[in-house]
Amino acid sequence: MTQKSSVRQLFGFMTDVARWSLSGGIGYQLFLCLLVVFMMLGVFAYLVQWKLGLTVTHMSDIVSWGFYIANFTFLVGVAAAAVMLILPSYIFKDEHFHHVVIIGEVVAVGALIMSMTFVFVDLGRPLQGWHILPIIGLFNWPSSLLTWDILVLNVYLVLNLSIPAYILYCHYNQREPDPRKYRPFVFISIFWAFGIHLITAFLYEGLPARPFWNNPLMGPRFLASAFAAGPALITVLLAIIHNATTFKIPKQTFNKLRLIIVISAIINLIMLFSEVFKEFYFPTHHSLSAEYLYFGLDGHNSLVPWIWTAVSINIVGTLLLAFNPGKNRPMVLLPACVLLFIGIWIEKGIGLIVPGLVPSPLGEVVSYAPSWVEISIALGVLALGMFVVTILLKPALIIEQRFETNNETV
Amino acid sequence: MKTPKQKKYGLVVVLGLMIILTGWNAYSEKGGVAQTIKNAKSPFDNGSVASVPPAPVDTVLAQVRYQGGSFRVETRKDKMTRFQCSQCHNKQPVAVANAVETAHGDITLIHGDKDKELACFTCHAKDNRDVLVTEKGINVDMDHSYQLCGQCHFRQKKDWIGGAHGKRVSWWAGDRVVKNCASCHDPHAPRFEKRWPKTYSRPFTE
Amino acid sequence: MGFLKNKSCRQQITDEHRSCQDAGRRAFLKKAVKAAAIGSTAVVAGCQAPGLLGSKEEMALQFQEYFKAHYRLMTEKERDATIIRLERLAKLQKGVDVQISSKGALPGVLYGYGFNVTRCEGYMECVSACARENNLDRKSNTQYIRIFEMEPGQMAPNAGNGKFFNEVPVDGRFYMGAQCNHCDNAPCIKACPTKATYREPDGIVVVDYDWCIGCRYCMAACPYYGRRFNWNEPVVPANEITRKQHYLGNRQRRRGQMEKCTFCVQRTREGRLPACAEACPTGARIFGNLLDPNSEIRFVLENKKVFRWKEELGTDPKFWYFID
Repeated sequence: MTQKSSVRQLFGFMTDVARWSLSGGIGYQLFLCLLVVFMMLGVFAYLVQWKLGLTVTHMSDIVSWGFYIANFTFLVGVAAAAVMLILPSYIFKDEHFHHVVIIGEVVAVGALIMSMTFVFVDLGRPLQGWHILPIIGLFNWPSSLLTWDILVLNVYLVLNLSIPAYILYCHYNQREPDPRKYRPFVFISIFWAFGIHLITAFLYEGLPARPFWNNPLMGPRFLASAFAAGPALITVLLAIIHNATTFKIPKQTFNKLRLIIVISAIINLIMLFSEVFKEFYFPTHHSLSAEYLYFGLDGHNSLVPWIWTAVSINIVGTLLLAFNPGKNRPMVLLPACVLLFIGIWIEKGIGLIVPGLVPSPLGEVVSYAPSWVEISIALGVLALGMFVVTILLKPALIIEQRFETNNETV
Repeated sequence: MKTPKQKKYGLVVVLGLMIILTGWNAYSEKGGVAQTIKNAKSPFDNGSVASVPPAPVDTVLAQVRYQGGSFRVETRKDKMTRFQCSQCHNKQPVAVANAVETAHGDITLIHGDKDKELACFTCHAKDNRDVLVTEKGINVDMDHSYQLCGQCHFRQKKDWIGGAHGKRVSWWAGDRVVKNCASCHDPHAPRFEKRWPKTYSRPFTE
Repeated sequence: MGFLKNKSCRQQITDEHRSCQDAGRRAFLKKAVKAAAIGSTAVVAGCQAPGLLGSKEEMALQFQEYFKAHYRLMTEKERDATIIRLERLAKLQKGVDVQISSKGALPGVLYGYGFNVTRCEGYMECVSACARENNLDRKSNTQYIRIFEMEPGQMAPNAGNGKFFNEVPVDGRFYMGAQCNHCDNAPCIKACPTKATYREPDGIVVVDYDWCIGCRYCMAACPYYGRRFNWNEPVVPANEITRKQHYLGNRQRRRGQMEKCTFCVQRTREGRLPACAEACPTGARIFGNLLDPNSEIRFVLENKKVFRWKEELGTDPKFWYFID
């Protein structure tokens, strides 16, 4: 085989990746088109928001953060959850995880892009975003946790793009990647994943003005719920891949993932119980936020059905996974993962952000429900994330499959 | 190459220094605004704010001094509608039918407790209507009515002199000009009346 | 494809490859058209966003304004230049002649505020005067100051009713106000990622409006509900605009910027009382220089029983409440 120049190899790699990601059967094409339609809906809604201002959302001076930041918070957790695949795969050299680690990293990339887009659409003046950059703007580091968050999220995105890119490139060229080149970064990304979600938690934890958030359990709780919801999403995604493509995933991967989800979900529930105990055993004025969330306050009880649903399906999902009635049958496993994912999404999204801001520092209570603009933009961003994951995953799986097949036949 | 023991000691020294420096820093910053205020002992030169205009003409120098020295009080005599009282109240008899009702009928006297209401001559001098009179018989100029009001309302007078009661006029810097008692309180019915607020806070509808 | 040994596999892949390519090209074209449509819509809609449509001069001024630095880092020349631009923009957009001051903090001054809870009768003259003086948005009825009708038993504004509108004072109720406390250890300053909000040397916490990116983290961090966000483009009738303005104070703000009480920086740096203190008919608001031992606010702090709201949060506010 002639040795092509590295530039030509790289170019060939990129064109192949582009080709593989955009081509496929009719079902695949339709799926991509559907995602583009939703993205266009999101763009349209964002244009409305751009024209009229954030007043088209239902956020106000009291509920100053809403649906966008709720989704941002949740999705950073999903992004951090990739570490639960990376850790066993690269450190413990578990082959079942190694088979699917690329999927975890791609999901992390998609989730990160979604998170950062949510922050972008939430900004009042995104054009002035350069004000936050160091050197050309003013970067209030280390005081402001938002600067920490921007820093760690971007580095994590780079890590999760470059490590798989390097490994895929090596696999594309049918050679083993050099561990000395990527293992240090893998180590960094493992600690970094814990870091991004702790820092996102500290965003809220560090505000003494908001007693609902100002408790030390926010950081660990975020990690626990992320490591339950993220792998749950990955499990569902793996099931889809297993059924829709030729990339087959062994049962042991699902079983091991299930174990991770169960442990994290149980820890999450224990932490939830601890929080609920603190709020309701001896309610103080600081417990008003929790009362607003779980029972309603002054007639404002729009969040009550949501949080009870979230907690219930969280518990049901955890129990289903823990006691494993179906003995790892997908019919039981997958709905449980979906339940857990949705439950944590509600509880960590709206169920965290809105009660933190209500009652206001002046004691005023309002209700919040996202407006059509917020929902449309959220759908658009979700479609964007799914689009990114899809177009990155397809060539990645093709390359991995070929590499593995090649190694098997050789 | 330093030995492991040296490295360990070096680390301990560095950590110790960090702790000491942090503690020293925290200690020196303690106190906040309260400490800043305690340390601020030299008076502020009110003349240093150039944009403050000189005191308006309708003020008089107060007969008392406050902690910053002398201050000025808004006059009342040029603002009262029927000053000078001696235009009517002089040596000649006032021959007007139902004089009290006609001339001062618009005055409602609601001043003092229900059982111990004040009378006109509690404050107004009988022989000279242009001035007020204290309990001890000392005449008080209308522009310096605080000397009179301060007899009963001594707490408010002390606060007014210091600045916790009453109102400073327009400028926080420059010469201190404050409102007179009667600038805000109708001396015959000093309690403020009920009224509607100027505006309201829009409820958040959500 | 030479690495695949199996010939039929190779053929299959080549066939697949070709149909992939065709499908890929179709899909790519579809997406390109969609992207172009989105892009052109965006440009058209974007041009209609407020502030971009306007005369060439307006656009040129705004283009220059876009690149300016943070107020604290500007040189004297840059400050003068931006003020000229802003004054010109006010003339073009609203037809009013404004004077924007860039006066710095007076030396030896630290502003403090005293609120006499006994004297407040709920008249809300302060709220109205503040809205007029600071050119607050009439559309959303932005108010920097909130007054609360309180029932006896608790001396904290969050225990009161902020939405009263009845004859005041009601028997058996008292009134308390809340606004930005200008904390010396402000959580909002710590939270701001761009340092758009900061503490001036005379103690007031200000916002460089044009530097703010509208992330609203400061709003989540403030324990006193001191900060407001412009959810919509603020609307102030041209004839009601206060003409004497300050760059850090009551100049025209735009949508997406944070704003807050600045202790009327346009007035206080000239030696005037803030609008709220001047408007109060009962003299419930005391304002002065904390560093002057002879000032009225110092008299209040030394002789009255003062307290600060949410003292336990350690924010070190310069807004004291007291009762007579």
